[in-house]
Amino acid sequence: MRSRRLAAAAGIVLAASVALAGCGRDSGGGQEEAKSVGAGKASGDITVWAMGTEGEKLAEFAKEFSTENPDAKVSVTAVPWDAAHQKIASAIAAKQTPDVSMIGTTWQGEFAKTGALDPTPSDLIKKDDFFPGAWDTTIVDSTSYGVPWYVETRLIYYRKDMAAKAGFPGGPKTWDDLKAMAKGMKEKAGAKWGLNLQPGKTGSWQSVMPFAWSNGADVASADKLSFDTPEMTEALAYYQSFYKEGLSPTALPDGSLEPGFVKGEIGAFISGPWHMGIVEDQGGAGFKDKYAVAQMPTKKSSTSFIGGSNLAVFKDAKNRAGGWKFVQWLSKPEVQVKWYQAVKDLPSVQSAWNDPTLTGDTLLTAFGQQLKSAKAPPAITTWEQIAAAFDLEVEKLCKQNADPAATAKAIQQQASAIGTGS
Amino acid sequence: MTGASPATAPARPAGATSTDRPAGSVRRRQRLRRALTGWAFSAPFTVLFLVFMALPVVASLVMSFTDLRSTDLRNPLAVNVVGIDNYTRLFSDDLFLRSSVNTLVFVVVGVPLTMVLALAAATALNSGLVRFRALFRVGFYLPVVTSIVAIAVVWRFLLDPEIGLVNNLLRLVGIDGPSWLFDTRLALPSLIVMAAWRNFGFLMVIFLAGLQAVPADLYEAATLDGATRWQQFRNVTLPMLRPTLLFGGVITGIGYLQLFEEPFVMTQGGPLSSTLSVSFHIYNQFGFGNYGYAAAASYVLFLAIVALSVVQFRLLGERN
Amino acid sequence: MVAKDAALRTRDRVAKTVLYVVLALGLLAVAGPFVWMALSSAKPEREIRQVPPTWWPETFTLDNFRELFSRLDFPLYFFNSALVATLVTAGNLLFCSLVGYALAKLRYPGRRVLFLAVLGMLMVPGMVTFVPQFVLVSNMGLTNTYTGLILPFLVGPFGVFLMRQFLLSIPDDLIEAARVDGAGEFRIFWRVVLPLCRPALATLGILTFLGSWNNFLWPLVVATTEDKYTLPVALALYSVGQNRINYGLLLSGAVVVVLPVLIVFLLLQRHFLRGIATTGIK
Repeated sequence: MRSRRLAAAAGIVLAASVALAGCGRDSGGGQEEAKSVGAGKASGDITVWAMGTEGEKLAEFAKEFSTENPDAKVSVTAVPWDAAHQKIASAIAAKQTPDVSMIGTTWQGEFAKTGALDPTPSDLIKKDDFFPGAWDTTIVDSTSYGVPWYVETRLIYYRKDMAAKAGFPGGPKTWDDLKAMAKGMKEKAGAKWGLNLQPGKTGSWQSVMPFAWSNGADVASADKLSFDTPEMTEALAYYQSFYKEGLSPTALPDGSLEPGFVKGEIGAFISGPWHMGIVEDQGGAGFKDKYAVAQMPTKKSSTSFIGGSNLAVFKDAKNRAGGWKFVQWLSKPEVQVKWYQAVKDLPSVQSAWNDPTLTGDTLLTAFGQQLKSAKAPPAITTWEQIAAAFDLEVEKLCKQNADPAATAKAIQQQASAIGTGS
Repeated sequence: MTGASPATAPARPAGATSTDRPAGSVRRRQRLRRALTGWAFSAPFTVLFLVFMALPVVASLVMSFTDLRSTDLRNPLAVNVVGIDNYTRLFSDDLFLRSSVNTLVFVVVGVPLTMVLALAAATALNSGLVRFRALFRVGFYLPVVTSIVAIAVVWRFLLDPEIGLVNNLLRLVGIDGPSWLFDTRLALPSLIVMAAWRNFGFLMVIFLAGLQAVPADLYEAATLDGATRWQQFRNVTLPMLRPTLLFGGVITGIGYLQLFEEPFVMTQGGPLSSTLSVSFHIYNQFGFGNYGYAAAASYVLFLAIVALSVVQFRLLGERN
Repeated sequence: MVAKDAALRTRDRVAKTVLYVVLALGLLAVAGPFVWMALSSAKPEREIRQVPPTWWPETFTLDNFRELFSRLDFPLYFFNSALVATLVTAGNLLFCSLVGYALAKLRYPGRRVLFLAVLGMLMVPGMVTFVPQFVLVSNMGLTNTYTGLILPFLVGPFGVFLMRQFLLSIPDDLIEAARVDGAGEFRIFWRVVLPLCRPALATLGILTFLGSWNNFLWPLVVATTEDKYTLPVALALYSVGQNRINYGLLLSGAVVVVLPVLIVFLLLQRHFLRGIATTGIK
């Protein structure tokens, strides 16, 4: 029995390799139609993959769903973040996907293009419920292939005491403010570094792009990439000026940001909501009152980066209807609030932010405010590769003093070579 | 199947001709028996090897001649065959070229360094005059079993420009230490030292096993002949250890050409790509979903590994 | 004569002392991170992240381990890891020494090709075969089974290469003598050759066990439900978040993963000592 299977599998792989020689790609399908799911309660087994804390806590959390839908059973498999991308990609290759999976927002384009994801049924999920920037991350070729589950965005963390000494007790409002505050923190408040910015390396685009967006640069639409614009160049020059003027470190060892912030060596930095927990943990009792978060400083607008994770249902799902119903349940405002209480994930559903649990916290409301206008790069398949090239050019900009205009040109050149993958 | 190969010369019986019939048929039967015995010993391995290793290799090799991307995974047959495009593209890929140079430096410096350290430690532990031998043996092997994450945390601390142990020691002798991992010229050398530190214990264990197999009477004879320790080492240990050294050199070379973990946890390939290795570049390409391109890069790396191993086989001489 | 002996002895003693000092310094440098890892697993998260780091825990706590064990179905993952690693190691020891013996000591057609194939496989970067290998295993219906976790690793080119190189250094006379005595090939292998291989088998055993024990990507992808996860996969669940690493859990997890391997190593390392002396040839 086993040996026959073995031989069959061997045959398949060999045949595949041979057949490969003769085949070609059929060029692009059209836009896909979402099939409706229909009303009624969910039933059957629903398999779900989720990463990190979400994976750990979802199983317990989903029991309430099973109470509401007695015929349905949710089985959650927790997947480590480390290799989640590889696991999902392999599962797609072998057509062994679960019904539902959590998906990183920047993977959405790639996985949707494999044809493995099911278009979002509009009878179940309403686009307008979500933050527009978050909803955009699910869109590939004008079709939505998932639902934002939770979101995050980047703000300016700053030390209140030091900002006051620098002359900005209410935090920075504009680009000029931010620069002046960083300078003041260094000169008047004894900070070694006024503002920590990421000098290149993985993910630095998430710190640079908010400045570019705030300056009106729209770098990428679904089929065109335009990094080489005056707005982009200006944003890059502004970013670089923090290094030129010695306000930001180019070689901050890993793990020394938070202690530096607590000790007052670093006056401010840009990051997402998870850093509230970290600095309060590091700073000990009372540190909660020593810092605040400010919206991204305004140039033409105040536009930050929106991240988080989406939920998607697979075409190879055994229980498609059940999967979508579970996703719909997770998107209910009251469930989103409960989910926030359970794991501190910020709700992607706008109306959930009206709940007193969230409105009571001033730091949180700052994030909620920023989320309304926050943007994400378009969900193109090659974004991660373009971002890597972007990060490398930013590193040259910060560490080698590369010319901002030349940087913008270099990014554009590489991005065009990589293409949008469509 | 890798079956009958004419490459194998008949074994010992030399100068035999087939004129003498009965002897010839006996010999033929013997040869058949030898073949059967050989393959009986080799069969379990060969079957598993062919299915789980050779087959995927063939598939990935085919993949390297196509433009397969991660977006084609559900439909891998519907891709375009692009011939050697992926391979030619590699040589105009700045990052690939950069990573090749980095990797080469890493191997050329790292392999000898690691082998010398390992051989020194193994010889010292095998020299008979060492008490606490087990303690040292276990101690030197610890990095091999320690999680790379812990190693990374400690090494980052060691090399930290301000608070690091290394620079504080340098300060004692009046030298203002550099910022190792953030300096484009020093990051790669730092990783080489780290890799040698991390891996010599592994080779040491293998060399020890080899040293144990050197018959003690050879040393006794050498001592009687009045050979010094150094002479014994050169004339007895090294020649007897040749297969083991060759093994160690080849394995370390293969491992180092695939340098990945050290830059992955320490520098992410930076600063400014100065520690980007070929494997890291390939890893990134797989991550970006460029499967065909990444597979092609893998097979170029494969050829480099083969070339290095052939050189080592020549240098350390395998007479077989 | 006597004076010369004494001088030699003093020189020997000096050399010995120098050797010890060098080895001790080496030991300090090499084992340091391991010790730090073990000590830090008993520190609270804040102290681990402290700059500059501390060596000895200022606050000693077992909370990391307590949290780890409360969040983790430890017995299950330990069992999975141990089962997989043990069977993989057993398979490698048996099959690789069999074929290693054949390649080193038997003459048969095809052995050169086989050896070259093994060498070649050793040099193929692992990343490139990952996806085809997984597709193959899933087509065989082996995802989420122990068989799928074990079978592809039951033999490896490394083990074959190691055993062959080691067996090359074993004198032919011994085998020849056994043949003359009329022993069958398998009997020779089992009774004469294998006992001589103890140091190499111990080495291969440790390395294979270590490799299998620490393997992360394959069990993660093959196991589709958590009950088939191995220890490293399960540990990775809790220590590394999307934006945040929990060092306390990471380090205590690392200690938990390393300990069994260390024990295996301590048990087996005695065998390196038993070389020729105990095995009959002098």
